[in-house]
Amino acid sequence: MNASWEELVSAALVGAERRAVPPGSVLEQAAVQVVRGRAGRRPLSGRAPAPAPAETLPLAPRAAGDRLARLLSGEHARLLPEWLALAARREVRVPARLIPELLDLGARDRSIRAHLGAVTGARGRWLAGLNSAWSYLLAEPAHVPPGEVWELGTSGDRRAYLSRLRGEDPAGARELLERGWGAETPEDRAAFVAILADGLSMDDEPFLEAALDDRRREARQAAADLLTRLPGSRLSRRMAGRAARLLTDDGRGGLRAVPPKACDSTMERDGVRARPPAGTAQRGWWLQQVVAHTPLSFWAGHLGGRTPGQIVRLRIGDWAREVRMGWTRAAILQHDPEWARALFEVEPLTDLLAVLPPREQSDRAAGLVRDHPVDGQLIMMLGGVAAPWGPQLAGAVVEKILRTADAQPWNAGELIRLAGERLDPAVHARVEEVPDLAAVLRFRSDMSKELV
Amino acid sequence: MSAGLASVRRVMERWSRDQVLALAPDAASRKAAAGVSAAGKWSGTGALPEAVWGECRGSGATPYRTCVDLSEPAYRCSCPSRKFPCKHALGLLLLWSADGMATAASPPAWAAEWLDERRDRAAKKAGATAAGAGDTGAGHATSGPGGDDRAGDSLGGPAGDDAGGGAPEGGGPEDGGVRGPRPGKGRPAAEQRESRVTSGLSELERWLCDQIAQGVAQARQTGLADWDDLARRLVDAQAPGVAGVVSRLSRLLREEDWPGLLLGEYALIHLLAVAHRRTAELPAELRETVRSRIGFPVTRESVLASPPVRDHWDVLGGRDEEQDRLVARRIWLAGRKTGRPAMVLSFAPVGQALDASLVPGTTIDADLAFYPGASPLRALVAGRHGHVAAGPPPGMPLSQVPARIAEVLAGDPWADSWPVVLSGVTPSEDALADGEGAALPLHPSSAPPWRLLAVSGGRPVTVAAEWTPGGLRPLTTWDEEERVVPL
Repeated sequence: MNASWEELVSAALVGAERRAVPPGSVLEQAAVQVVRGRAGRRPLSGRAPAPAPAETLPLAPRAAGDRLARLLSGEHARLLPEWLALAARREVRVPARLIPELLDLGARDRSIRAHLGAVTGARGRWLAGLNSAWSYLLAEPAHVPPGEVWELGTSGDRRAYLSRLRGEDPAGARELLERGWGAETPEDRAAFVAILADGLSMDDEPFLEAALDDRRREARQAAADLLTRLPGSRLSRRMAGRAARLLTDDGRGGLRAVPPKACDSTMERDGVRARPPAGTAQRGWWLQQVVAHTPLSFWAGHLGGRTPGQIVRLRIGDWAREVRMGWTRAAILQHDPEWARALFEVEPLTDLLAVLPPREQSDRAAGLVRDHPVDGQLIMMLGGVAAPWGPQLAGAVVEKILRTADAQPWNAGELIRLAGERLDPAVHARVEEVPDLAAVLRFRSDMSKELV
Repeated sequence: MSAGLASVRRVMERWSRDQVLALAPDAASRKAAAGVSAAGKWSGTGALPEAVWGECRGSGATPYRTCVDLSEPAYRCSCPSRKFPCKHALGLLLLWSADGMATAASPPAWAAEWLDERRDRAAKKAGATAAGAGDTGAGHATSGPGGDDRAGDSLGGPAGDDAGGGAPEGGGPEDGGVRGPRPGKGRPAAEQRESRVTSGLSELERWLCDQIAQGVAQARQTGLADWDDLARRLVDAQAPGVAGVVSRLSRLLREEDWPGLLLGEYALIHLLAVAHRRTAELPAELRETVRSRIGFPVTRESVLASPPVRDHWDVLGGRDEEQDRLVARRIWLAGRKTGRPAMVLSFAPVGQALDASLVPGTTIDADLAFYPGASPLRALVAGRHGHVAAGPPPGMPLSQVPARIAEVLAGDPWADSWPVVLSGVTPSEDALADGEGAALPLHPSSAPPWRLLAVSGGRPVTVAAEWTPGGLRPLTTWDEEERVVPL
């Protein structure tokens, strides 16, 4: 008797006895069929995916690729973003075998995605097309030759293209944007408006004023933020008008603040958000936003020719906190170092440091490091100081590490980690008294030498 | 021939980081090794084509002295670690791999002494015939677990006799029946084993027929307990190979098609029991295959006494699998001239050193001694003549794989793993395809093979893979720079 495989399986399931076949024969026939099936299996017809496009970037040098593998295996893992940034700047691509691990990391960590777009090359995009978990990569800019990028590129490519054009020809970039504005997606519109920050001038004002009526809140907000940097803009003048009523000289060396009673539709159009975050008083929230969107240059004229340093020290009765937060936000939005400096003197907020030139950030931070104990706040402040740290800050931090290492090893550890990432790696030979720090800096120094 | 050998030794290429890390006994060691791979941790480092050495600053006052003989490779370190190779040896190799080490004229006295000792021993061994267990690179003291072969291990993996981890190691009569009763008075152990196996397997044959007679529909409810019990009895019957197969049956229940898969496995086990019952009718080679599948031990000595096969062997890749607190390491090789595949099996208790003498991606000039059988695969390294710089191994076209596998199964119908090197194949998410539109499916556990896809980019590559009845499991590929990429 010669049974089919299905018959054999069915006999085995219900029992050979019921089918009145000898069980030994079922097993023997099954053995023949299993081995025959394995030995006689023919290839299927199958098609491989279409090949990835050719690479346009050179491969990173071998030593650099090996170092990337070390970073991915957990050695100095915090330096991975720096490696990626260096590689993106040097316009090299990573070894293909490491791309899947990098894309997995990027799926969890947005902050490295922009660099991944550049360094994973054509192969990275090809893989992202095969695995939906990696599709985010297709929105990141890559080094693609210009030409038809604006028309056909991914949104990341188009953002990169617009940024570059804006740097060379600000009016050309804006006009390009205006031509196809209606057809852009809401996400793209918000991102494109933000790109106009570079080379911003009154020529952009009509376009931005029109964008205040955009359907997308992010696009409206981005336009409003930019218009406050143009003191001559219609939005700036409207805000100044509101601010003039809300904050006045009380004639006795102080200021009097009166928050708005309502948030009307014209305020909302100008970027004031009606609904406060949880736990914030509504009227104070509106006051803060009006101050934040008023050109800082307005205040000197409004308050009797006082300097920013004098203004921030004026006594304010009620709502003092909201007004100061508004100024702080304005200094950051409008990139006004003079106001940032004045506000920092009163309250050293990390966010204000970012507005100052790098060297000054570093020097002011050095003063704080010298005068304050190492605590979470100091570390957070230092976290906001851009790399590389200048010599003053470097000296202050190393001295602090040596002084805290014995008493508070945990705090010293945090400081060492941060310093390892932010100090200029070239100083590694001068910090040998902190071996852990020297090791990280040497690693970074080698890393940047390999990526040339 | 020997004059040519000296020159190939010289051109040995620096190993890649992946190759070094593949030597680590476990993930913790890989991590620890990275921690001591910085140049700052080391002093007095140096490298010759055949050895690297250095002193590593540890927590103690005196630095650890570490030396690696690259030709074998073998490791020596003065640290007290029980892991092998220790993190210092791996860290030193990583440093060397990253080009962080100057070439030296000669090693310091402490390293030279050990290297000379090794050379003397190797010379002595070469002088003698291929007898006895080879020094497979045990370094820490003299008795580190190198490629120690366990008594009675079967192709089915460690089970029964070996599972205790306390089986006698190397040499001696190979009856490791830790669970079975000791041999009776005056009756030779081998004879007693034969009769135990015979009665155990005839009981198994009856049990299988009963199962099929009654029907296996209840296997999902009763299988686990039944198979546990059956495996225990097979261990007592000194048939550890069959016991291993039975104890692994539970995996099938996870599959949708479990009735068919279970029938297939039962049928093959039944075939083995019948083959043993009718062993006298079998050709000699097939008889050896049957005996090794059942789990009869084969001594190292008898394997090493067979004529060795000398070739340039590409180390294709490996896989570690843990079972019963024992890790089994399989390393697959392929000979360049003979075209023969081979598999070197070693065991170590979890967390302890595994044989790290075969580095994936390298090519060694070596003598391999094969275990007997109708489709011989398992082998021992009987002698080494150094490394060869050879690049990616030659592969076969995909269209030849089915015929090759048919040949293997014709010799050994129980074969469920065979290494193949495929050239000119393009991976997709679930298969490897050739240029003619033919494709072989991947094992579901290996799909999608993202790293392989990344390296290939939709273009043909060379892939070393393990054939299994469930599909191919990629082991290794080579990238655009011809560097080895473990998968």
